[in-house]
Amino acid sequence: MRWKSSGYRLGKAVAALAATILTLGAAAAEPDGDVIKIGVVSPLSGASSRYGAYAVRGAALAVDEINAAGGVLGKKLELVQGDSQCVPAEGVSATQRMIRFDNVSMIIGDVCSSVTLAMQPVVEQAGVLLINAASSNPEITYRAGVGGYKWTFRTYPTDEVRASAALQFAVSKGYTKFSVLSVDTDFGRGAINFTKKYLARYHAQIVSEDYYKETETDFRPVLSKIRYVGAQAILMYGLADTTPIVARQMHEMGLGGKVELVGNAEFTTPSTIAAAPDVLNGAIETVAWLPSWPDRHSLKFVDDYRNAYSGDMPNVHAYTHWEAVHLLAQAIRSAHSTKDSDVRAALIRIKYDSVMGPITFDDHQQAVVPIVLLEVTGGKAVNEGVLSSRVDYSAH
Amino acid sequence: MGYFILEQIVNGVVTGSVYALIAAGMTMIFGVLRAINFAHGEYYMLGTFAAWYVVSKLGIDYGASIVIAVAISALIAAVIGRLVMQRLVNAPFQSGVLATLGISLILQNAVILAFGGGYKVFPGGWLDPVQFFGIGMAQQRIVLVVAALVMFGGLEWMVRSTTMGKSIRAVSQNPECCQIIGIDVEKVVRRTFVLGTALAAFSGALTGPVNVSLYGGMGESITLKTFAVIVMGGMGNVRGTLFAGWMLGIAESLVAGSIGLQYRDSVGFIALLLMLMCRPTGLFTAKARF
Repeated sequence: MRWKSSGYRLGKAVAALAATILTLGAAAAEPDGDVIKIGVVSPLSGASSRYGAYAVRGAALAVDEINAAGGVLGKKLELVQGDSQCVPAEGVSATQRMIRFDNVSMIIGDVCSSVTLAMQPVVEQAGVLLINAASSNPEITYRAGVGGYKWTFRTYPTDEVRASAALQFAVSKGYTKFSVLSVDTDFGRGAINFTKKYLARYHAQIVSEDYYKETETDFRPVLSKIRYVGAQAILMYGLADTTPIVARQMHEMGLGGKVELVGNAEFTTPSTIAAAPDVLNGAIETVAWLPSWPDRHSLKFVDDYRNAYSGDMPNVHAYTHWEAVHLLAQAIRSAHSTKDSDVRAALIRIKYDSVMGPITFDDHQQAVVPIVLLEVTGGKAVNEGVLSSRVDYSAH
Repeated sequence: MGYFILEQIVNGVVTGSVYALIAAGMTMIFGVLRAINFAHGEYYMLGTFAAWYVVSKLGIDYGASIVIAVAISALIAAVIGRLVMQRLVNAPFQSGVLATLGISLILQNAVILAFGGGYKVFPGGWLDPVQFFGIGMAQQRIVLVVAALVMFGGLEWMVRSTTMGKSIRAVSQNPECCQIIGIDVEKVVRRTFVLGTALAAFSGALTGPVNVSLYGGMGESITLKTFAVIVMGGMGNVRGTLFAGWMLGIAESLVAGSIGLQYRDSVGFIALLLMLMCRPTGLFTAKARF
């Protein structure tokens, strides 16, 4: 009997506690009147933390600029950060924390494709807006818009267009035998899968295929193989921090000038070129933006960024996150509302003037943005042409 | 094809020499303490970071930076040896695991706190390529292999002929007896620990230029591979470690060069599993040392 009554009392206590938590939760769920929270999920630790640092700094710069100009609809923007470590499970829990505990209803993220792919169902279930500004795996927007996910938008070009443009340009340079050396993630593998679709069209072939772990430092066995199979170029969709390692080991083995790098892994960054100039001369890369892009607003962004962060040069992720915050602010303004459904409707019809040209979204909620083809010549990145990133979905 | 295999063997010997240098210290520490030093890769990381700091921030020549880096790491190891490792004498196995895993976390995060979590590029080193039977490689790699051979020769001599070496062997065989006949076991443990971690730091400083980038978590994967090497060589067997290191390096290079780079890290784990299942005493002796 005693046992029963104490159990009853315990039950009451639990109910009271639950009620308190619920009330607290409800209080927290009320919109904080005068701020609009924007979440940024990015890798802030681990092998890809370099990207996350750029992304957060770019977004923070845009938030400061918008707030200094009076905010959006009379409200200040507030940045909430989440660390994905470039690991899907960590990215999902960072996203869930943001939605549940920080009450964020608009998220920009992630840099790593594998994480973005994992975040998509989470925001879909919660009805929270996700703007992806830095992942390039084509699947992300194959699944969005008419493809299924309502709440995902992407402002970054997909690897599908990138892969075909890079391949076409490399073939025009006379390379037909390619070795694959990409990072073992959805980004690296996705770009190669889409490159394979175009091999027949450009009469090219892949003679060897390897994927490296994010922490790999010894590429000599693979480079020996690449030399042995007689590849003329390496298709590399990889990590910026790994490129200097590969380049230096290629230099060691005397591959500079014999095997060229083609793809996307920051081949055109001055510090990477400096690591092994003979290897990087001739490298072909497609990028969404570059610091020397000759647009007044783009150059001003580079100046502002360098002033704000003690002279550090922004990379493409800093730019895309800076631009994504401005794009989101314009969508909120034209929606006259911070409600997710209104902002989503505004994004669908938006025509936003980015420093790279006007941005619109197609029916897969993929932005049609230009991509720039670069070749390293004489130790400098030279612009070899600008292409549209419009995807022909019916072709697949 | 024959040439291709020869080239992979050369690549493997270079990588394996690094594993062996690190593993030599780990196996000696296991010998005197009966504890796996799970923080061993962190001393390798400290060596690389110290050399990087000395070269890039203080502007000192790379050659001198190797000596300074080993000295800095040995100093840190001496403190940890006194505060933590010497207390593990006669302690149960679990304390060793917990203590060294804890030190691993502390060292990793201290470095990230001090220098940031991003990758850094290692400047300097002897990177000019030389041709070696038609195989191009940086001078640095030749230095690495020679350094490993010299170090193993030196260790062999020390273990056989010096008082310190003899006391290390005695403690490995029976710590209780050593205490009875008046060998200061704690002192031997401390010295072995500093020597073993200095070897890891030395190989860290030597590999910096060829691995190019460094970051706080770089020691973690090395610890796992080193563990495979010391099991293959026979726990506590210094000489066996060199051959085991080369074998793992060569096997990894052949797998990475013919099956695929993504399967490289599985070689160490498969070797570890096979060794523990079929020959837990190591490749070179049928008798268990401990």
